[in-house]
Amino acid sequence: MHPMIAVEGLVKQYDRAKVTAVKGVSFAVDEGEFFAFLGPNGAGKTTTISILTTTLSMTSGSVAIAGHDVQKEAKRVREKVGIIFQQPSLDQQLTAEENIRFHACLYGMYSYRPAFKLMPAAYRNRVMELAEIVGIRDSLFRSIKKLSVGMQRKLEIIRSLIHTPAVLFLDEPTQGLDAVSRRSLWEYIDNVRKEFGTTVFLTTHYIDEAENVDKVCIINHGEIAECCSPEEMRHSLLRQELILDADDRDALTRELSELGLFHKTKNHIIVPFRDSTAQEIISRLNTKLSLLEIHEPTLEDAYVEYLKQTGGESK
Amino acid sequence: MSEAKKRSRFFRELNAVITIAARDISLALKTPAMLIMSLAMPIVMMGLLGGSLSQNMAGGLDFDYKQFMMIGMMINMLFMTTTTGISSLVDDHETDFTQEMMVSPVSRVSIVVGKIFGSSFGAIVSMIGTIVVGLFMGITLTPLQQLLIFALSPLMCLSAGAMAMVIIGLIKNKKTANIAVMLITMPQMFLSGAIIPINNSSGFLLWLSRVLPMTYCLDLVRAVVYGGTPEYDSVVLFNPAVTLAAILGLTAVFLIIGTFFFARTEKNR
Repeated sequence: MHPMIAVEGLVKQYDRAKVTAVKGVSFAVDEGEFFAFLGPNGAGKTTTISILTTTLSMTSGSVAIAGHDVQKEAKRVREKVGIIFQQPSLDQQLTAEENIRFHACLYGMYSYRPAFKLMPAAYRNRVMELAEIVGIRDSLFRSIKKLSVGMQRKLEIIRSLIHTPAVLFLDEPTQGLDAVSRRSLWEYIDNVRKEFGTTVFLTTHYIDEAENVDKVCIINHGEIAECCSPEEMRHSLLRQELILDADDRDALTRELSELGLFHKTKNHIIVPFRDSTAQEIISRLNTKLSLLEIHEPTLEDAYVEYLKQTGGESK
Repeated sequence: MSEAKKRSRFFRELNAVITIAARDISLALKTPAMLIMSLAMPIVMMGLLGGSLSQNMAGGLDFDYKQFMMIGMMINMLFMTTTTGISSLVDDHETDFTQEMMVSPVSRVSIVVGKIFGSSFGAIVSMIGTIVVGLFMGITLTPLQQLLIFALSPLMCLSAGAMAMVIIGLIKNKKTANIAVMLITMPQMFLSGAIIPINNSSGFLLWLSRVLPMTYCLDLVRAVVYGGTPEYDSVVLFNPAVTLAAILGLTAVFLIIGTFFFARTEKNR
């Protein structure tokens, strides 16, 4: 079976640019997978997503979406994808509903009618249903100009999903959204994935949003650096940590030194560990503890650590 | 490909053209100032410029200059307003709305044709305005002539838009687009014979007039209006069949080139 997204040796060199934006990137995303593409600003994320969605030409390499080559079968690819761009791409002079109608008719879902009331019932019901889910039902017939950034983002989400794409590209979709809106958006996208088996390709600067993805790739300086599950990434780059403290802190630090356990003292005593378990370490301690916590590294910790190890962000 | 599939693909593209055109018409209707300008332009172009020309330059011609100039102004307004409408594609580029169209599964030609027909709405309003101003100046067209001109107007708008796309398709910012609109419309007005007869053009100017679609659009409309009149030979340059073929040919060529430039500009943002 073909992967839903197959990228092989993708290169993008912009005209007159000194640095190659994407340097021979290869990865694959399976059907129904939730995939996160992470990297600092200027790493090549948006360039890659633009090539995958046929809006940017590639210099060399091959990209296939749902088995269709993005260069030779661009129209077939476009039928399969939905995208939320990094920059809002709504028509500010139309109403929210007119923007959705424009999209739905452009995708051939319905014949164009000049008013919402004249559109088929299936369209009207779907729009109302989606608007209800993302909480913009009351603003549906207002001009985009009068909607907040968060509302506009939600509208873009409705628009990108109305044709039920097989692959949904989300290029920093929660930029400008408040915490409540972010949460409701992710709940909705989870539901879409469950209901339609949609493959989701995400780029984000909020690394916590990628904690629950199936696979994560880090791109930096136009090259793929890591491609694995978030779990593997956390454990390959970071140790877990025991956070300890005792009324007799000196006794505890002395005991840790005698046992040969590396530790550092900040607000509390931190003991990183990887090969042994927390249970094994604690069982060797005799000092009475006043604090015992286990710190599990987050994907964000791993991501920051990775950038430190590889010389920081792209310019 | 099966017949059913071909038909379904054709209707899908047609629906996309209608959708894109309807968006521009909807935007025009939401901007009353734009409609007022579309109606006011004929007053300036036809009433003031045309009026002055007919008072000072009409001597020595063996045909009625006022009617000649009115047809020129009608087609000129059609070309000018369509070109201005097409330049709104640059606004769409700046607000990233073109990306929304570019990721949709429709052909790039449909996007451009839809945009041209959408832009034509203002052009038709201007053309109506020109006819009304003409009435006040004592220049009339018969209902049949008006009907024929309206029937030809979609083709002329397509031709104007295709020509404009060749230049607008390459432009990425609004200021340059505004200059480009002037660059496209002004030479056409003088070289195509809209207000000045071009029977005596020669050399480079003659060659240039022959590659401008407006020359043929004007000639076709004048063939319709002057058909069967003694002035026909003095006013009409070519056989209407040749003129129609030239319009179709030039429109097709400019449409292909303009669409290529537009798609290329969008793909190399």
